[in-house]
Amino acid sequence: METDNRFYILFPNHHQGLRLSQLLRERGIDYLIAPTPRQLSTCCGISLIVKGGDLEEASQVIAEHEIVVEKIAPAPKRDGDWKYRSC
Amino acid sequence: MADYREMWSNLDMDLEKHDVLCQVLPEVFGEVYLSQQKRPRGMDFYDFVVSEIHGVRPAELIEHQKSGGKVFGTFCVYVPDEIVFAAGGIATGLCGGSQFWVAAGEKVLPPNTCPLIKASVGARLDKTCPFFRIADMFVGETTCDGKKKAWEILASEVPMHVIDIPQMKRAQDVNAFEREIHSFIKVVEDFTGSKISADSLGESIKLINNKRKALQRLYEARKAAAVPISGKDALLVTQIAFYDDPSRCAQMANQLSEELEERISRKEGVFPEDTLRIMISGTPMAIPNWKLHHIVETSGAAVVVEESCTGTRYFENLVDETAPTLERQVRALAERYMKTNCACFTPNSARIDDILRLAEEYKVDGIIDTNLQFCNLYSTESHLVKQALAEKNIPVLHLETDYSEQDFEQLRTRVQAFLEMLRE
Repeated sequence: METDNRFYILFPNHHQGLRLSQLLRERGIDYLIAPTPRQLSTCCGISLIVKGGDLEEASQVIAEHEIVVEKIAPAPKRDGDWKYRSC
Repeated sequence: MADYREMWSNLDMDLEKHDVLCQVLPEVFGEVYLSQQKRPRGMDFYDFVVSEIHGVRPAELIEHQKSGGKVFGTFCVYVPDEIVFAAGGIATGLCGGSQFWVAAGEKVLPPNTCPLIKASVGARLDKTCPFFRIADMFVGETTCDGKKKAWEILASEVPMHVIDIPQMKRAQDVNAFEREIHSFIKVVEDFTGSKISADSLGESIKLINNKRKALQRLYEARKAAAVPISGKDALLVTQIAFYDDPSRCAQMANQLSEELEERISRKEGVFPEDTLRIMISGTPMAIPNWKLHHIVETSGAAVVVEESCTGTRYFENLVDETAPTLERQVRALAERYMKTNCACFTPNSARIDDILRLAEEYKVDGIIDTNLQFCNLYSTESHLVKQALAEKNIPVLHLETDYSEQDFEQLRTRVQAFLEMLRE
């Protein structure tokens, strides 16, 4: 998945996130399961990353299946090249 | 977002310090893992596990405790998980792979201790890992001097049982290990209040064998000419296998393997054709230590096999499932575990045989033999590994490293020079 123009979908719990991932997979919409970046939430847990171009369709799926979403936010911008760091 | 702070607080964790760790993981995982191309869809599960790393599985372990079950934290592939599960307990790997915990370990350990031990002690003392807070009992072992002394420090925190691992593999040593397993059974029975029977042990032998078979199947797929999964992803699967529920681990690894086998039938790989195939041999890489794999796979090569505790040593060799009595089952366990070849044994020529066999099976172009800093055993054994590989004309690079990012660029330079030499 390209790194520009991506959006994070955040959920109140992982069940909602896994449900949406399943639905997106069935619809053929590309996504990534990712840990939520600290810039977007102070809590830990899963988010889904979708491409900007797929956001409208993903939002339709969310509405159709009443997935509970906490927020949808653009991926935080990175300053220059990433340098390896330990965690 | 899932809020686990109440759970962590109940575990008496240092939330403020733990928060610093939580900040770094998403960025590193995003760059090291999620930036990869053509990943199998089956990695979704493992991405999910990492995303909820201190949440979902710890919550499951706590539920187990609420229903009266015990959790045993382990640090080595020589600990027979079968015994714990046979008594209705859960065994969970605790090896620390994070640089974040090293400083806390250094407060009580000499600086010339390997990062795995420092991180494991630091994770407990600093109260920044839920798994280290949850485990009712730690199960140590005598695979190196650093660990032996570390257990004495950790024993003041948590009930500790140490399994005496033989240092040689003569018949009397296998017998001695068999007796150690009997002692371990007694400890686990007393601690859980559950008697282990031939039936329950037979079931848990199958449970853990099934996990091993699933991981073997996954590794089998990596032998394909067009490698269907990156080394980084395969490493993640093994790392998670140490603490996931064994039956779910087998199920997810089998599901992933099915996808990989489909890829193989379509000759679909994750790397360009003619990518160099590298074996990494040596010391374990506990989660989240992905440094060396990241260097290799962002330098135009693929890691196709790990001869390590977070690789083939973890799942090669099955326990005989046909033993009819508890006595015979324990014998079968002793025989299986003593087939694992770690540098803590002398002599350890069977490990060199393993490396040569794996080099052929996985058709590797070169081997990176690595050890964690201050691991004298693997560092010394690297001389014999190098000698044996030279005799077979298999190129090898020996590297010593830790968990920090300090030597990242130096390592990258050395790996790139090695790969350049392989291409010539």
